[in-house]
Amino acid sequence: MKQRREGFRPATYVLFLAVTAAALVLCVCLGSVSLPLKDTLRTLVRAALGLAQDARSLAPSIVVPVRLPRVLCVAAVGAALSLCGAAMQGLLKNPLADGSTMGVSSGASLGAIIALAFGVSVPGLPFAGTTVLAILFAFGSLLLILGVAYRLDSSLSTNTIILLGVIFSMFASSVSSFIITFAGERVKTIMFWTLGSLQGSSYQNAAVLYVTLAVCGAILLAHGRELNAFAVGEDNARNIGVYVRRVKLTVLICVSVLIGVCVSVSGTIGFVGLVTPHMLRRLTGPNHRRLLPASVFGGAVFLMLADLLARTVLSPRELPIGVVTSFVGSIVFVYIFFRSRGR
Amino acid sequence: MSRKIIALLLAALLCVSVLAGCGAKQETPAEDASPAEETTPAETPEEPAEETPAEETPAEETPAEEPAASVTVTDMTGREITLDGPATRVVALSAADCEVLCALGCGDALVGRGEYCNWPEEILDVPVVQSGADTNIEQIISLQPQVLLMSTMAQTEEQVKALEDAGIKVVVSDAMDIEGIYTSVGIIGKLMDKEEQAGEIVNGMKSTFEDLKAKAAAWEGDQMSVYFEISPLEWGLWTAGTGTFYDEIANILNLKNAFGDVAGYAEISEEQVIERKPDAIVTISMYYGEGPTPVEEILSRPGWDVIPAVANEKILNLQNDELSRPAPRLAEGAQMLYDFMYGE
Repeated sequence: MKQRREGFRPATYVLFLAVTAAALVLCVCLGSVSLPLKDTLRTLVRAALGLAQDARSLAPSIVVPVRLPRVLCVAAVGAALSLCGAAMQGLLKNPLADGSTMGVSSGASLGAIIALAFGVSVPGLPFAGTTVLAILFAFGSLLLILGVAYRLDSSLSTNTIILLGVIFSMFASSVSSFIITFAGERVKTIMFWTLGSLQGSSYQNAAVLYVTLAVCGAILLAHGRELNAFAVGEDNARNIGVYVRRVKLTVLICVSVLIGVCVSVSGTIGFVGLVTPHMLRRLTGPNHRRLLPASVFGGAVFLMLADLLARTVLSPRELPIGVVTSFVGSIVFVYIFFRSRGR
Repeated sequence: MSRKIIALLLAALLCVSVLAGCGAKQETPAEDASPAEETTPAETPEEPAEETPAEETPAEETPAEEPAASVTVTDMTGREITLDGPATRVVALSAADCEVLCALGCGDALVGRGEYCNWPEEILDVPVVQSGADTNIEQIISLQPQVLLMSTMAQTEEQVKALEDAGIKVVVSDAMDIEGIYTSVGIIGKLMDKEEQAGEIVNGMKSTFEDLKAKAAAWEGDQMSVYFEISPLEWGLWTAGTGTFYDEIANILNLKNAFGDVAGYAEISEEQVIERKPDAIVTISMYYGEGPTPVEEILSRPGWDVIPAVANEKILNLQNDELSRPAPRLAEGAQMLYDFMYGE
């Protein structure tokens, strides 16, 4: 095999950006209410230039306040979740690792439910209570699962981790149900939390997501080489001079923060973190210097398109996005898997 | 070593909990079997499950002190149910049945309620039983009701059979429309020997609806549209389409349901609400006394200012399930909606 350049060329990044931008424009132009393309684009341009909007058209009240923030949030959530999935799969040398299979998402939503049920809030920032608890619980559950896994099986085998993850997911959701049972009047509202909804995403949500993604994403991307070493084996990583403990902790903290923020904005969305890295690995190969950036863009595009389906297929009704991601994701996954095996 | 001990402890715990469950089940029917046998004359005509359990006497039908003539009702699945006399101990799983019972003045007969039964306030002291998939048959049996009221969607066939084997008559009231409410009020009225009151309730409801319908039909302005918000934006918008009580009331009141093209309760897109520009919004979100009220929250949604309901602040917040339950209170809900839409 020819020696390949490790990372992507700048031109490739331009291509990725172009694809993502195209998906974004497509998702902003299509929606539950069909608006003339001209109106949509004019609205966007006017909003960007700060001009007054056409009062007779419906587009200004739909595109800018409702559709754009949602698409932006969806893109960020997709990017974050699939980046987390790729990083965890590398770090734990485990093809099934992902926020949902490892119980991190359930942990995060348990945190969010506790914040809602007991009215935990950060003074001055109404949105922050659920986010902070979701992050803390995401990190706590990750530590707990890995800690217990180490005690049982220091090689951290796939089976042990997945088994513990599933057990922890059940545990966390039973505690959530328990809290919901005693939350009385708030029961109904909290129940929706567990389903997750991207409706009502605001620019504030998007800002929080993008800042988090920029910080944690940059840190994760910078650890591509270390993750390559981990993917071969933890001992190997140690032998070639990777500061194993610190790298592990850094990656886990970044993953928890990302998943925690995503869960607090959109609820748990399964399958994105698991499937997108696998699909992309077929294109990029296993090198994390390529896989991680590809996951960011691939995850964003995948979730934006999934959300587009969720918004439009049954219009005026809306599907939970998790239904679409699981349905489409599993079919695509099986298809890619068979094609690559069959060759 | 220590693992073994833990395993043993867990096993022991498991045994104890299983036994505890059985104990509770055995105790209650046994305790009450003796007085029941004394008072029960031998002429119990329909007791099919008499001899099934071996040692423990099954919870028998305890007829009222002065046994009235037997009561036969046909429930809303078409099953015929016969009781020795009017029911005096009833468990109601659905919130609507609880409301009907209380409207009939039989709140005292309620010995157990489903978890969503919350109206009127005085029934909040009645023990709660699990309903739906988690229905706790043991718990219901231990309350010794003669009748269990439920809606079809709440229970499975197996659960119904288990209850009937325990001698509890299961009556299904599953009103899907206003006509259904009249039927269910009639059935429960007959069960409780309150047929007269049942008739009054039904007539009262009918006259309220007719009155409102006539007044609304006389409205001279354009037909107004209303959007029913079942779940707020934060959790994903849900609305009530055709086949719901909201929709039926809207029709009576000469209002156009903004989502009349959607069947049942459904999650809908925010964009659609903005496009359909309803004249009024009815939200059923609860207010917990902190943050913006449901009405303020709707008024503050970006992009919604083009909706006439938001521009004119025509938003009604119903917090007590006035329009969602197949119960007599639906007439009050309709009146509230009428007053809100057309003003006094």
